[in-house]
Amino acid sequence: MPQGPAAGSAIPAKRALPSKESTLFKDLLSHYESRQLKKGHKIADQILKKFPEHGETLCMKGLVLTHMGKREEGLELVKKGIRLDLTSHICWHVFGLIQKGEKNYDEALKSYTQALRFDKENLNLLQDAANLQTQLRLFDSLQETRHTILRLRPNVRRNWVALAVAYHLGGNLEDARNVLEQYARTLKNIPDYDTEHSEVILYHIRLLADLGHNADALALLDTSAKSRAVVDRMSIMEYRARLLSSTGAQDDAAHAWRALIEHNPDNYAYYRGYLSAKGFDIDNLPEVKTPEVLKILSELGEQMPKAAAPRRLALDVASGTEFTTLARTYILSALRRGIPSLFADIKALYTDPAKRDAIERVVTAFYDSLSNSASASTPATHLWTLYFLAQHHSFSPSPPSPPSPPYTHALTLIHTALAHTPTLPELHTLHARILKRAGDPYGACAALEEARRLDGQDRYVNTKSAKYHLRCGMLEEAEGVLGVFTKKDAASPGADLEDMQSLLYMLEEASAQNRLNRPGLALKRYLAIQKVFDDIYNDQYDFHSYSIRRFTINIYLNLMSFEDKLRAHPAYVASSVEASRIYVRVHDDPSVATASTSIANMTGVAKKAIKKAKKAAFKAQEEPKKGLTQATSNEDKGLEPGPAKDEDPEGIKALGVKDPIEQAWKLLKPFATPTQNSLDVWIAVYDVSVRRQKYLLAAKALLKARGLKGEDGELHIRIVDFKQRVSSLPQLPADPIGPALASALALILPDELALETYNSQYLQRHASSAASVLAAAKVAHNLHAPIEEVEDLLFRLTTPEVNDDIKSGLATHAFLVKLGSRRADEFRQGCDDRYVLSTVFKTPEEIARLRAPPAQGMSDGDEPPEGQ
Amino acid sequence: MAADPNTTAKPSTRPSERVSFASLTTNNLGTVRKLNSVLFPIKYSEKFYKDILAPEVEEFCKLIYYNDIPVGTVCCRIETKDDQGRLYLMTMGILGPYRCLKLGSQSLEHIITSASAHAKPKITKVYLHVQISNPDAKRFYERHGFEETGIEQDYYKKIEPRDAWILERKISPSD
Repeated sequence: MPQGPAAGSAIPAKRALPSKESTLFKDLLSHYESRQLKKGHKIADQILKKFPEHGETLCMKGLVLTHMGKREEGLELVKKGIRLDLTSHICWHVFGLIQKGEKNYDEALKSYTQALRFDKENLNLLQDAANLQTQLRLFDSLQETRHTILRLRPNVRRNWVALAVAYHLGGNLEDARNVLEQYARTLKNIPDYDTEHSEVILYHIRLLADLGHNADALALLDTSAKSRAVVDRMSIMEYRARLLSSTGAQDDAAHAWRALIEHNPDNYAYYRGYLSAKGFDIDNLPEVKTPEVLKILSELGEQMPKAAAPRRLALDVASGTEFTTLARTYILSALRRGIPSLFADIKALYTDPAKRDAIERVVTAFYDSLSNSASASTPATHLWTLYFLAQHHSFSPSPPSPPSPPYTHALTLIHTALAHTPTLPELHTLHARILKRAGDPYGACAALEEARRLDGQDRYVNTKSAKYHLRCGMLEEAEGVLGVFTKKDAASPGADLEDMQSLLYMLEEASAQNRLNRPGLALKRYLAIQKVFDDIYNDQYDFHSYSIRRFTINIYLNLMSFEDKLRAHPAYVASSVEASRIYVRVHDDPSVATASTSIANMTGVAKKAIKKAKKAAFKAQEEPKKGLTQATSNEDKGLEPGPAKDEDPEGIKALGVKDPIEQAWKLLKPFATPTQNSLDVWIAVYDVSVRRQKYLLAAKALLKARGLKGEDGELHIRIVDFKQRVSSLPQLPADPIGPALASALALILPDELALETYNSQYLQRHASSAASVLAAAKVAHNLHAPIEEVEDLLFRLTTPEVNDDIKSGLATHAFLVKLGSRRADEFRQGCDDRYVLSTVFKTPEEIARLRAPPAQGMSDGDEPPEGQ
Repeated sequence: MAADPNTTAKPSTRPSERVSFASLTTNNLGTVRKLNSVLFPIKYSEKFYKDILAPEVEEFCKLIYYNDIPVGTVCCRIETKDDQGRLYLMTMGILGPYRCLKLGSQSLEHIITSASAHAKPKITKVYLHVQISNPDAKRFYERHGFEETGIEQDYYKKIEPRDAWILERKISPSD
């Protein structure tokens, strides 16, 4: 916080105050310090009455007002104050505080740097600056700042550790180690089992291990453990085991891992450590060594009779009849004990088709034995076995014999299970999943509702049900379901879930809006997901000071690397790509921004929803205003701006930006890195770059995409599009871009080949792939082929030569509709006939009927007689 | 309406059998509805589902769990007359595959024990109706100390046969 002027420096005349006002100013500072805002405000006015041009007082008044919620007025005063006294560290400090509150870390650090110019040794300024430098990952200047702080206060323990951490973050591990060693020499009289000291030692050990000094790390660990300096006993054991493994003392290492297994016999990492100390890399095990590993695991299994881990690991390792025997024991024991998660545990083995088949044989035989004999089995075992088999045939359907639609067998099994025990929610949830996979989202939704009615307290089922509703485009119903668990005073269930950063909900809702052709609302949600990640990133700020103060360094370093990888999160990537696609749509056809979001286009339900959202948003704005009318109160509103009001409930403004394509690029730019390996990202980067006329970047994106999946249909469309666009340029861009572009293009597509030929060659290569046939048809359309020709291509999907699926069928139908083809409905009807279990190819009227909530089945006109 | 929850007893040599009872709440009422819909040929009124949630009958209205799977339900009401209470067993049923596991017996014992411990009002007897086409159910109740006190004609209005036995068991503090 601002402090009085540094002693000894000459005070400029305009800053100097007579002694009475000088005392008042000190009072102002201490009132602010104790958040006596009202008093501070009064005193500031008192000073300003005599010295209206006193910069520091103006800044302090601005700061007080900001805390009281009068943000704009406050900021105005602060800026005026700075202009009047540009060399005051107080003025700059105040400005920095306010910018920091607005999370404008860049600008805040600039203000702090200014402030430090005029008060070089101000510890408050230095600490805050260090936090800002950490947040902005400016490690060189962070090291300098931490060094200065340590020089000023060498007797404060945490200043040493803070400097070491600063070196560590900047990658200077050796310097970090030097600091820690010097720090260790300054310590005396540390009590036994001091938590903070213990954390620093563990950090020191980690640092030594990161440097590769495993022997030193081990020595430090052993002496510290003996001298009762390390509190965390599990950490001692884990570090010991790892360090012994890395130093090559394999016997001791095996011993240490074995001790850890005793401690927690279900931690897979311990078994891996133990086996690797014995010389076995379980993930790359030569076949000759499997018998030895299986023997070890079986011994461990006997010693830990309750642990699943050694038995489950053996299933990874074993093969052939050995596998069948082990799998039988493992699976049947779990079925007898009624473990619902058995299939989720087992299904990773299905990547090996031989293991998949063996499991099918084992469980099917077991099921037959249950049905045939009066064996000593319980009805529960019978049920869990059916449940397992239904999951098995849903996840990995066998080729049906005689031919029947896929999932028929899974459905038969789940119907048997439901007839056996209709009260188990898991069965209804699985029923829903099978229907979903078979292409019946509406039936799936109804099945999940059955599960939800059985147990209203199950939030997992509740969320699933909402998700399935969203998949059917039933947004209102989804909100109703979610509202059972969300906060009752929130503006809406959706608003609460956004507040709670529910990425699942936000992604599903956005894509539901997208499917309903409401790009504005979808875009708004995608941008809200972006904001969630901004918030998570900003939230680390407090830990820069907290973790150092509490010496929780190890976990802090983990947090820092988590935050650095934060934006690789799938939800963040997906929201960026999807939002960029919407911007591209608007760029190509600006009427999208006006047409699809205009209220006139919406159904009554949607209109109502929007009205409701508007009302809620209005209410949410009114509430803080009520507080403002009594702004003279002492209540501290903090320096962070309150929640921004929602001025765009329909996403019209988001959609109507002047430069959609630049907005799209802003979202994608961080992903266009050499290590990016998502096809979707590179296709999106191409779509945006080529529209920004950044042809070289577009070419690079295509080459990247081709490296990932050269024959992808979406990529094929882009390659032809690129060629068309570049050839229609009046002239190639100037040197050096032009020639570079020409050679990139030559790499992507041979120059002499006509595009039509290129397209038909592609089609020939992938005549059986539905996605490729669709892509070739789209390209043919772009090359101005007559519509009949395009239709003929698309109708190839209905022939047995093409391996089509529901997804490609839907995409093809959508494309036919977009073309205005007269055969679109014929295609839809054909799909509907072929996908017997699916409902997505029904007519809109039929779908509306499917969506209607099923009758509750609880009539009340059937009053039984007395006594029923 | 009492379905036949238990006819013959098998030796219980099976692994891990856990039987537990859960009180009814608005959240698990859907399970009771589902059980009633598959166990009994009668649709129960909304009033039925409202009454079984009352705190007074908490010990007499239960979901029955077998190895954590809800497989049955028992629902009673208390009828009070001159400070004397009697318990009427409205429904009791176990899903087919889970019969012969003594779940019905355990549930009935729970009801009887709770009834004998009940104070305000003091419960003197438990009674119920059994459709005369269901002698297995009658035998089940008789094994647990119930006695036939008569036949009520045309007790059922919509299902055949329409007559029902009335079965009754006295409750004493030692039960």
